[in-house]
Amino acid sequence: MQKNITLKTFIPRLGRREIFTIILLVIEILIFSVISPNFLSVSNFRSVLRNSTDMAVVSIGMTMVILMGGVDISVGSALGVVAIIVGWLIQANVNPFLIGAVAIVVGTGIGLLNGLLITFGRIPDIIATLGMSSILRALVFGMLGGQWLTGLPEVFGPLTRGQVFGIPMSIFILGFFYTGFWYLLTHRPIGRHIYAVGNSVEAATLAGINPRKTRILAYGILGSLVGFASLLYVGRLGSVEITVGNELAISCIAAVFVGGASVLGGRGSIIGTLAGVFFMAVMNNGIVLLGIPSLWQRAVVGALILSSVAVDLLLNRRAVLEQRRQLSRQREAIIKSAPLMER
Amino acid sequence: MKNFVDFLFSKLLSNRVYFLLILLVLVVVIMSAISPFFLSLGTILDITRMGTVLMLLALGQTLVILAGGAGIDLSVGATLSLSGVFFGLMVKAGMNVWAAGVLTVFIGGLLGTVNSITVAWWGVPPLVGTLGTMWIYGALALVITNGIPISGFPEKFGFLAAGNILGIPSQIILVAVPVFLILQYLVARTFIGRWIYLTGVNSTAARFSGIPVTRVRFFIYTLSGMLAGIGAVVMSSWLMTARADAGNGLELQSITVAVLGGTNIFGGFGSMLGTLLAVLIVTLVASGLQLGNINAIWQLAVLGLILLGAVALNQYISSYTAKRLGISS
Repeated sequence: MQKNITLKTFIPRLGRREIFTIILLVIEILIFSVISPNFLSVSNFRSVLRNSTDMAVVSIGMTMVILMGGVDISVGSALGVVAIIVGWLIQANVNPFLIGAVAIVVGTGIGLLNGLLITFGRIPDIIATLGMSSILRALVFGMLGGQWLTGLPEVFGPLTRGQVFGIPMSIFILGFFYTGFWYLLTHRPIGRHIYAVGNSVEAATLAGINPRKTRILAYGILGSLVGFASLLYVGRLGSVEITVGNELAISCIAAVFVGGASVLGGRGSIIGTLAGVFFMAVMNNGIVLLGIPSLWQRAVVGALILSSVAVDLLLNRRAVLEQRRQLSRQREAIIKSAPLMER
Repeated sequence: MKNFVDFLFSKLLSNRVYFLLILLVLVVVIMSAISPFFLSLGTILDITRMGTVLMLLALGQTLVILAGGAGIDLSVGATLSLSGVFFGLMVKAGMNVWAAGVLTVFIGGLLGTVNSITVAWWGVPPLVGTLGTMWIYGALALVITNGIPISGFPEKFGFLAAGNILGIPSQIILVAVPVFLILQYLVARTFIGRWIYLTGVNSTAARFSGIPVTRVRFFIYTLSGMLAGIGAVVMSSWLMTARADAGNGLELQSITVAVLGGTNIFGGFGSMLGTLLAVLIVTLVASGLQLGNINAIWQLAVLGLILLGAVALNQYISSYTAKRLGISS
């Protein structure tokens, strides 16, 4: 009995919204496999997985930030800056573990800076990260100086292309990060703090949670995930181009929203985000396979974000109405049951 | 010392117009020290030419932010690109340029209405809603043109952006001044302006005093789209082509300008005049950097720094005044 309960706590419970996303994902896969004969193959799924590993890792951090009602649109430029540093260090033949450490430290630094600007500078999330994004983008241009970093030695290639027992390395990376952060967000105090701050800053403060600290921490974690993702990026492409990370922010935000997170904060989950990431990855792959010009991709992603947010708000509004109706019913019952004198 | 700090924050900085005027003088002094070509009437008139489009977008942005509810319009740049592309297509199809121009403003309004519907009606947070339309419009502009600029505007159309009337750039007389005066009148002298400010200060209180908050916000986003449409016409005349990337980066610039102009990012406080001065400052800085042969890339970074600095300053001033008046938070 005791064992049963402890085991159960370690199996993710799926909410209605997450199941909805998973059903969408299955429908999407069915549609693409009917339309394109090349879609349903092991090698294609491997490439989908490989190409989306860095996006999937960053999406975890993005989920945490969006859970607190924020958003970070500087992740793409931040990834660019870190990737260039990684490229330089690879060219200088530095020990890979040291490079990894540097990447994560620099990423964390950028993330913490964002967090500090937002909490102590009292700048709204979107404005702060918009400003940071333009500064970092300028840095990317300046650091590259018009030349691309190409032909980098394959130091980090095995991270995305490698296999262990015939299973792609990406699966291990995703498994490690998603299980770890699922546990962190659902079973550790810090994760619950993030949800609490997202639901109501005031209530969280009254409950003894420091919202500033939580917020800075979440941005810091997002930054270190971006740092790690830049290793994956460099390993996957073997080069750093001037357009590095241009689409990263929109893909991550879209994945998190499609995965059922609420724009208002407080609702959403890692499992939903994983489904959202796969949804986006499969869609990008399907668009290419169907021969649709890739220019359409952005438009489709934008429409997806808008529609998933609208659906979410609609569901939310209905829930709020239902709650109100219940409250008024209770109130009526109380009034009816009270003696006449007290009315 | 304490008196001085008090004077600085309560008198000088709280009146944004004085602060911006001082900043403007400072910028002019610094820029003319960097580049000897800077301080001449011709240069400064040329610079104001570049500011017209930015002013149009920034005034729209100011109104959107003023109306509160975390209002922000990230789609202004993409709206400008897409309506510019439609303008180019209409002219290419043989339509009269001026008629096409009027239609373009209308199209810009329609594109803005999409934001009105999602944000004001459905209650999508402005940030996400306009981020979505920004990507959709930007991608559509690219898809329609395939990335190739549409050219072939009649020669006389260039007059709007490059011509002079009585020695003053024609777009200042024909576009910038009339639009600014109309909007200033709307905001300062009509009930609509009062409604916008009240909605921004406290939307619940505004609703209880009978102000149609939803309709005010609906109107504002459409207006912002229309201003972007006007901007598209001016931009097309300036470039003499319609480019799919004409509006890239203008959303960042317009937000920066609006915030530097003293618009409180949470709504309710700000003025058209402040935004106008901020446009002057930002265009002067940008062209000064160009004259000083500083790479255009760093302008992006400078803009980002100005944005962060301006918001932080606004927040600091408002918390300082609140503390001085004994209001918590």
